[in-house]
Amino acid sequence: MGLLNFTRDPVPEAVSGDMHNLNQLSAQQFSALTEVLFRFLTEPKEVERFLAQLSDFATMNKISLGPLKNIVKSILLVPNGALKRNLSSEQVKADFIALGLSEEKASYFAEQWKVNSPTLTRLAVGQTLMINQLIDMEWKFGVTAGSSELEKVGSIFLQLKLVIKKGSQLENVYVELTLPQFYSFLHEMERVKTSLESFS
Amino acid sequence: MAALRDAEFAALQSLLKAPSKDAVRQLCQECFSSPPAALGTLAQRACPGLAAGPEEAEQLVSALHNLTRRVVYCGLTRAEEILSLFPENFHQNLKNLLTKIILENISAWRNEAQASQISLPRLVDLDWRVDIKTSSDSIVRMAVPTCLLQLKIQEDAALCGNNPVVSALTVELSKETLDTMLEGLGRIRDQLSAVANK
Repeated sequence: MGLLNFTRDPVPEAVSGDMHNLNQLSAQQFSALTEVLFRFLTEPKEVERFLAQLSDFATMNKISLGPLKNIVKSILLVPNGALKRNLSSEQVKADFIALGLSEEKASYFAEQWKVNSPTLTRLAVGQTLMINQLIDMEWKFGVTAGSSELEKVGSIFLQLKLVIKKGSQLENVYVELTLPQFYSFLHEMERVKTSLESFS
Repeated sequence: MAALRDAEFAALQSLLKAPSKDAVRQLCQECFSSPPAALGTLAQRACPGLAAGPEEAEQLVSALHNLTRRVVYCGLTRAEEILSLFPENFHQNLKNLLTKIILENISAWRNEAQASQISLPRLVDLDWRVDIKTSSDSIVRMAVPTCLLQLKIQEDAALCGNNPVVSALTVELSKETLDTMLEGLGRIRDQLSAVANK
């Protein structure tokens, strides 16, 4: 086996056996299985649903679930590595062929990869580390009518509640701004937006 | 802020023993700015200058604090309004001097009162920077701009006295979050203009 694009580490021995088994599936069966796999990859939280669909596939095609799960584990190695390394569909196809999958099936998978890769890339970027991510902002503004020191005030205040994700917990931060501070804040945020847009 | 009692006006007459008009002026400013809890210490410092005993000094300082705060509370701005606070038999010259001093300081005092009123923690400073994320453990090559915002927040001034606690909070925003935030801020601005135009 030559150098693979999706990984630098040696591939587990079982993989070539699994690819051989995959080659035995009909085009229709392979297409159905690929669909199940990509549905899981684009919605990685739906583990229950994925396992249920695999189980249905196994029953319908008279394959035992155990070996099917091993096959699926082997297949998934490629898209996971490919996503990390931003591989093109040609590279994905080449890797499957190198692992022992038939040219026809490798082409098909690579096509599906091309179609789904924007969604998958977006998901991977979304998983990237964020420090104290701002989740939500609530606000209220009002007028201070009076205080213990001043009977009549009539000044405007703005209160912000920022919901921040610290590690795995959410923290609320409360801040008050005067009117000039609010306008200054708005102005700065607009500058940030311009800056971010120039880099997108 | 309650109106002054006769006893308090009587205590104010101790000012007649003050060495100069400037000393009276100085004392007025210190009495206004001092929180009620610190009046005792202020009295102790003031009594030698006024040749007054400790008890007399305390009563004077307290009365002056109440008088200046009362004027600011009621939002009095004209001499006649302030003069009318004093009782009939109050020393004429002292009354005029105090009124003059108060009028000189009233707007500075009003600003001071407003600046020190209770509030949620206040935003004192804002800094930002835009980074481009180029790589992570989940994806080796990318170019995602992100914004880091540092908010400097000061706890309620009244709770911290002279040593306000300023904490810095750094927050990260994605472009989507920033757009949503700007939408919200825009709505606030529109509502503020609507209120201002009424």
